[in-house]
Amino acid sequence: MISRFFRALGKDLHEIGLTFAEGSWATRLSFLIMGFGQLVRGQLVRGLTMLGLEGGILFYLISFGWNYLSDILTLGTVETHKEGRKTVYGDNSFLILLYGLLTIVIIAALIFLWRVNVRQNREAELRLKRGKRLPTNREDLASLLDKNFDKTLLALPVFGIFVFTVLPIIFMICIAFTNYDVNHQPPAKLFTWVGLSNFKELFGIGGEGFGSTFFYVLGWTLVWAFFATFLTYFLGMAVAIMINKKGIKLKKLWRTILVMTIAVPQFVSLLYVGKMFAADGLVNGLLLKWGWIQTAIPFWQNATYARILIILINLWIGIPYTMLIVTGLLMNIPAELYESARIDGANAFQTFRKITLPYMLFVTGPFLLTQFIGNLNNFNVIFLLNQGNPKSMSLAKNAGSTDLLVTWLYKMTINDSNYKIAAVIGIMVFLVTAVISLVVYNTMPSVKDEEGFQ
Amino acid sequence: MKKILAIALALVMIVALAAPAYAADNKAVKVWVAENVVDFTKAQIADFQAAHPEYADFVVTVEPVGEGDAASNVLTDLDAAADIFGFPQDQLARLVAANSLLELDEEVAKQVAAENDAGSVAAATLGDLMYAYPMTSDNGYFLYYDKSVVSDPSTLEGILAGCEAAGKSFYYDLRSGWYQPAFFFGAGCTLTYDTDSEGAYTGCNIDYASDKGVGAMKALVALVKSPAFVNGSSMSSATNVGAIIDGTWDAGAVKETFGDNYACAKLPTVEINGEAKQLSGFGGFKLLGVKPQTDDDKLAFCDALAYYLASGEVQLARYNAVGWGPSNLEAKASEAVQADEALSALGAQLAFTIPQGQYPGEYWGLAEGLGDDIIAGKYADADDAALLAALQTFQAACEAAK
Amino acid sequence: MAKKRKLGNAAIYCILIIMSIIWLFPFVGLVLQSFRGESGGMVQYLVPKEFSFKNYLYLFSGDCNFPLWYVNTLIIAIFVSVLQTIIIICVSYALSRMRFSGRKALMNIWLVLGMFPGFLTMICLYFLLKQMGLTMAGAVPGLILISVASSGMGYYVCKGYFDTIPKSLDEAAIIDGASRAQILVQMIIPLSKPIIIYTALVAFMAPWCDYIFASYVAFGYEKGYNVAVAMTRWVWTNDYQGFFTRFCAGGILVAVPVTILFMCLQKYYVEGVTGGAVKG
Repeated sequence: MISRFFRALGKDLHEIGLTFAEGSWATRLSFLIMGFGQLVRGQLVRGLTMLGLEGGILFYLISFGWNYLSDILTLGTVETHKEGRKTVYGDNSFLILLYGLLTIVIIAALIFLWRVNVRQNREAELRLKRGKRLPTNREDLASLLDKNFDKTLLALPVFGIFVFTVLPIIFMICIAFTNYDVNHQPPAKLFTWVGLSNFKELFGIGGEGFGSTFFYVLGWTLVWAFFATFLTYFLGMAVAIMINKKGIKLKKLWRTILVMTIAVPQFVSLLYVGKMFAADGLVNGLLLKWGWIQTAIPFWQNATYARILIILINLWIGIPYTMLIVTGLLMNIPAELYESARIDGANAFQTFRKITLPYMLFVTGPFLLTQFIGNLNNFNVIFLLNQGNPKSMSLAKNAGSTDLLVTWLYKMTINDSNYKIAAVIGIMVFLVTAVISLVVYNTMPSVKDEEGFQ
Repeated sequence: MKKILAIALALVMIVALAAPAYAADNKAVKVWVAENVVDFTKAQIADFQAAHPEYADFVVTVEPVGEGDAASNVLTDLDAAADIFGFPQDQLARLVAANSLLELDEEVAKQVAAENDAGSVAAATLGDLMYAYPMTSDNGYFLYYDKSVVSDPSTLEGILAGCEAAGKSFYYDLRSGWYQPAFFFGAGCTLTYDTDSEGAYTGCNIDYASDKGVGAMKALVALVKSPAFVNGSSMSSATNVGAIIDGTWDAGAVKETFGDNYACAKLPTVEINGEAKQLSGFGGFKLLGVKPQTDDDKLAFCDALAYYLASGEVQLARYNAVGWGPSNLEAKASEAVQADEALSALGAQLAFTIPQGQYPGEYWGLAEGLGDDIIAGKYADADDAALLAALQTFQAACEAAK
Repeated sequence: MAKKRKLGNAAIYCILIIMSIIWLFPFVGLVLQSFRGESGGMVQYLVPKEFSFKNYLYLFSGDCNFPLWYVNTLIIAIFVSVLQTIIIICVSYALSRMRFSGRKALMNIWLVLGMFPGFLTMICLYFLLKQMGLTMAGAVPGLILISVASSGMGYYVCKGYFDTIPKSLDEAAIIDGASRAQILVQMIIPLSKPIIIYTALVAFMAPWCDYIFASYVAFGYEKGYNVAVAMTRWVWTNDYQGFFTRFCAGGILVAVPVTILFMCLQKYYVEGVTGGAVKG
């Protein structure tokens, strides 16, 4: 892999050198002024794009980016100080890191663009040498709607994801290696690089860590994701099969009732349901009134009850999803299969186990995986119902018994401004999810066989 | 891929260059206060500007941001935060540690200290610097009860007996670090932190892991076992209330629920280690802070406006408008405040409370952990040794939190 | 045999009826509470002692910015729905129909990016938006921008659907001289009505529930709130005594139109979610 990279790099450098050695004066000038060769050859669209981009990027670097990039190794040195009662702000570590990274990304893009520019020149020269004509401006533009339509389509989405997803993720990964916390808050205070010390703190290397709490929360996160995914899956399938059974009337009505939980925004329904199960809430009130219980059930106060209840309430949300999907898929199973099974004397359960289930598992594999990953990060259900409570003295850093890793790190940033540890936990969440999904994903038959569907 | 990146880059530049540089407008002043005093504050600011023509060119906007949110917003982005904001005093150290508050001018600080009650002044002071203007002195809690349910509000046992007999609930927020110390302080324990004037914690004084602490723990464990006990302190989310330990801000809601049976009193006594001990707790204060300013004129205006909004005259007007108990000594002495039932119950309770100093953010989480463990019944059958062990864990964690 | 089947069906009816009660109970409770005349928070009885419209009237009285928050959310939802659908169609078409270098890499990178917990990046996004002036007073366009910017990563379901449209159709069209753009607009889109409606519907429903990031971006500027930010405050903070019934009323007003829309388009939703599940 590495040797392949260097070989490719070597080939690239060779080609660049060749372009310069064999190129005309216009091509050579293009090494400095991007797009110059293209302009000379009459490729106005390409030339102006390149020239404009180079100018824009250089302007950005000089007027804005360089100020931040130059401080990125220290994250700022000028402290905020006071003149009398007036405050004079110093460097802002946060913005230095953020815009410094942006600048690095833009410089990388400039290098890439420059390479593209060199290659365009090379290709044009070779084409002319062979006596072929160059694509006209009109053809260049038209190809953006045909041969190069993918570039038109993907430009905006890729750009958006780069700035608003990739850059922030790189930024937060960097935060895990700084001391950005409540005592180092910009703009009034500086923060700086600290290496691996946050990771050491998490796992308790060289002092008291809170590794046990981390593994406790991780354990519950996995247990939760497992139950939340598979219980809803199998129960949802059962409900779909029941509704689809021959002879059951009002199929549409049953389905409509169940999908209410998908349609109503969760912040309304879950907040209400959470309140319903409060110690003095509606459910306890009714149970007491009917005399089913003597004292209120501590639904949210007892860790075990709270966990079970959360999984049950999640069924209320999750069953309808699976039901809808399975309903659609059940139609696809050939009726003859069931017919012949019935003739062989198989009962309902046997047909389910031998025919329905294997088919469903095969077809809905990717869906199950996305569900599982979604549940690992299922913020809404936990946070709207009981905010991860109850807490316990045996758990460090404000963690609660029903906290998932994501709700835990959210609380850390909001309540304690502890961004450095939250970032470390974020990286851990990422590793856990990535490992699970890559392993599962690559063994799934329906993914391996992408072209087979077309 | 080439052209994608090309276009992408063009857009990067458009975004980066078109982004307006944020120029702080030196004549725009933003104020954050709780929703129910927004209109009141707007009116007061208008009066202030009318009385001081030299400040007439400042444009003040008032936005409803609750005190808790205000503090966390200020910590998230100081630059965009309000210039003047109300916050609960327990956030003071955190805000000062992040350099988010402008200390009072020395002369003004002396004047403010002389005009307000000692507890509120202490709450606004860290080390030897005063960082905020006291706005209220009513952030304490006491007992509200339904006269038809509770006949003996002076002891916890009496309250619980009354509630149990009537099938009503007794509300106490055991899991909150603010209410929880009522039992521990009542039993004679202490828990305070020392801070320097930079907002950093320098020491922790705690003696929960002691006989006194175990006694308080036992009382809490016994309380949780009562069928009438419900954990909570917010009247608006409580049902079937017989009695509730709550603060003045809920007086209206309680009056509405209890009607003619509305009554309030200082906190009850509770039997701890065989003695009747008066429940204690925190007295707290709302403060008004000014964020650090970079412009001298604006700084002068913010100082003057904050001083005015926290002055005795405005405190009294605020009491009349929304019922917030004043910290200003003159306003406190006025007839209207003296006649207020809830505030007098609080006054009676204040004799037994300690003014709340500064507590690190982690303390509140630790207290919730202890409270949740008690509520979940982890210590229902624990002996003294086990309770002591639990308190030792708690104490060690509190000491480590500084 | 027939008797057994009848018995089985009866059992199923029982289960379905019980389930329906459980499923509907909270919504019935919510509706009843929204008409409750008595003040206070949650109560331990279902049917209010006194019915009244005052909670709804409050929302539309001058004291409350509810209509404004509602309009904000509606604007966000409509824009996000339209723009996100367009972007997802573009990405899905490119990934499903065109073969270019870096295609697999792009898909894998996006898959991996989706596993990073988004909450961590909120503070970073906040400062990016702030630099562009899209926080506080600009919260509504800011939220639209963020929702739309990253939406390309949600291509799975739609691409899966496009994959099921036979490629031979494209090839025939190319022979007839159609450009790629024409194929997308004139052929693929008309064939993909269910998945387009599904994508738009999902995108439309999400902003109604965004309370975490939206509260970051609005940063205390009340006129920039959406309904979820404004109304979760009523339940979670102590500043709003007696707002529980108002929360229920507001919740109903949010839920009813979204639910009706969902019910009307349910058919497409099923087709979309089924197709997407198969291909992932």
